[in-house]
Amino acid sequence: MIAYDRKSLDAQQTVEYAELWRKKGLFSEEKWQQIREQHPSGFYSPNVFVRIGLAVFCVVMLLAIVGLTGLILSPDSSESVALLGMLFGSACLFMLEVQLIRNKRHFGSGLDDVLLYAGTTAIISGLFLLFDIPDGLAAYIVVLPFLVAGSIRYLDRLMAAGAFVCTLLIVLHIAKDVPQVAVYVLPLTGMVFSLLLYRFARRGGVRVEWRYWHGVLAVVELLALLTFYASGNYWVVQQAGHYFFGMDAPPAGGLFWAFTFIVPAYCIFRGIRARDRLMLDVGIACMAAAVFTFRYYFNVLPLAWAAATGGAVLFLISWLSIRYLRKRPHSYAYEPEEKDTLLQRVQEEIFDKAIVGQAAPATTGKTSMEGGQFGGGGSGGDF
Amino acid sequence: MYKPVLTDLVEKNLLEPEDAERIGTYEKTKPFSLHWELKTMLYVGVLLLNVGLGILIYENIDTVGHAVLIVLVGLASAGCFWYAWRHRAPFSRGEVESPTPYYDYILLLGCFTFLIMEGYWQYQYNVFGDRYGLATFIPMVLFFVLAYLFDNRGVLSLAISALASWVGITVAPEEMLSQNDFKSQTIIITGILLGVVLAAIPTLSERLDFKKHFSVTWLNFSIHILMVSCLAGLFVLDEKAVYFPLLALSVAFYLWYARMRHSFYFMVVAVIYGYIGFTYLLLSSVSGLEFEFYMLYFLISCGIMIAFLINYKKHRNA
Repeated sequence: MIAYDRKSLDAQQTVEYAELWRKKGLFSEEKWQQIREQHPSGFYSPNVFVRIGLAVFCVVMLLAIVGLTGLILSPDSSESVALLGMLFGSACLFMLEVQLIRNKRHFGSGLDDVLLYAGTTAIISGLFLLFDIPDGLAAYIVVLPFLVAGSIRYLDRLMAAGAFVCTLLIVLHIAKDVPQVAVYVLPLTGMVFSLLLYRFARRGGVRVEWRYWHGVLAVVELLALLTFYASGNYWVVQQAGHYFFGMDAPPAGGLFWAFTFIVPAYCIFRGIRARDRLMLDVGIACMAAAVFTFRYYFNVLPLAWAAATGGAVLFLISWLSIRYLRKRPHSYAYEPEEKDTLLQRVQEEIFDKAIVGQAAPATTGKTSMEGGQFGGGGSGGDF
Repeated sequence: MYKPVLTDLVEKNLLEPEDAERIGTYEKTKPFSLHWELKTMLYVGVLLLNVGLGILIYENIDTVGHAVLIVLVGLASAGCFWYAWRHRAPFSRGEVESPTPYYDYILLLGCFTFLIMEGYWQYQYNVFGDRYGLATFIPMVLFFVLAYLFDNRGVLSLAISALASWVGITVAPEEMLSQNDFKSQTIIITGILLGVVLAAIPTLSERLDFKKHFSVTWLNFSIHILMVSCLAGLFVLDEKAVYFPLLALSVAFYLWYARMRHSFYFMVVAVIYGYIGFTYLLLSSVSGLEFEFYMLYFLISCGIMIAFLINYKKHRNA
């Protein structure tokens, strides 16, 4: 089911964990060497900069191949262009499977990423052209299987995100055409859909046999939380009602207002209580969205005052919390964790390292198999 | 999800049971870090506060008065520098750990408010007149001193930016007077010289073992200024015989540096700039060829570049 070698994926995960524990001094250096020696993944997973470089050159090369093939074969009808596109896409996927993954053992090298996206795009475009598929529901239904298959077989998070959005669009497309009650059904559908997928991702996230997809499921979990909130957020509901049904204000507005503020507050509370970082971060982001939603409809304070007081409150809360946590470290702490997310590393790389000048920790691998984490390529600039 | 890994390692005799127990206890009791959440909230809070106050002051400029405002900004800047001075770690030739979690940000805020104050002087009272060079020279000197004194790479980046502006402003008026078409050439040559100087300083400081960890910041400015200037020389001035060898030399230097210092970043950047330069040189030298040739060139050359990047250093987790 997975294109990559499972044993190597397991070995990679073991070494990742062992490295974290070694950094904490939980076992000897000698054991660390033994663990490393006995768990060679053999993957070619280069540093993030090499990955970018390889991806750039691969894109140019593929464009050159398309140009050259087009010139030599000069297809004269849309059918032949479509067939050529599908042939090209299949060739890309074949190269990816046989040459890159099986023979050269690439894993998150930049080349496998580009070939996967290029291949899938070419095949889908070919299908669209060949069967003249119209935009909308039919298009989503055609695209979805490719995205699902891609995220399962290649553990690709971008494709997983695409599959999630595609499924959501299909569901909403159907819900919005329900006669009479569509305006009520639409937000509810969004919520139910998100909850179901959230449950699926959470349950999958603790299943050991699904460990290879934990990264992919984390993406689904994140998106499900976001779409759940968006489904009941007053601004989204009001705008959708206006766009689809020409309504100025949604029915049962109070309910949506309550949802707009209660859900983020619950997410923050639950995130801290259950030590669920994803939920906490989504809660914080949604709380910011709730504040913006409120300001959109009620102009209680001039912008300058709102920004200044809001900023002061935020500053005070965070400053006092940092002081408190630094003085009394217990089950919560201010000190950073060893393992961090891709977004955090981007912030480290761009802001802290380049501008402020604080050192950033580095990790490696296409996907970290820990649920809730977003491992990218190794971010350190060194080898 | 750590449990299966731990069990597996114990079963394979790669970890002693007591090691596994220690790891298990650590995993169960390790604190939940709120570092990123709180830090992000702190940034956003400070940013919002600044924006809000900025707008408020702007709206009330008539009642507040410019002089008061300059004094306020100046006081803020001085306060930040005073904090940095009070809490500074003892000077060292090597890297110094930040004394407090906010230290770097407060120092940086001091620098930014200094720039705002200076800009305000110029805007309101025209203190520097047309001597823009002086206006960039003062912060440049101040920031270099602060960067080395308090060991801060962020301030060093500001200082190098100020240096680049100062050099740019210093050479630009000359070409304005000369009326010749030397406009681009002066700037390009200045850029190349600046790039070389920016590369020479860290090389020297590495030899003298003085703030070696600043090298990446210096070289990051150097590589882009140097390579863009060489490419500009190739594209704009069309003096291939001069600028292509310069570009080749620069690429060679950075490839050497990347190999010496094990830096993927400098290697990839140098390779991409080199590829652009070489492609331009080749394609502009041979004209009137069929479209197929160009496609074939990109196909083969990208293949070679990919092979180079992969084989540069096999990074297998073996």
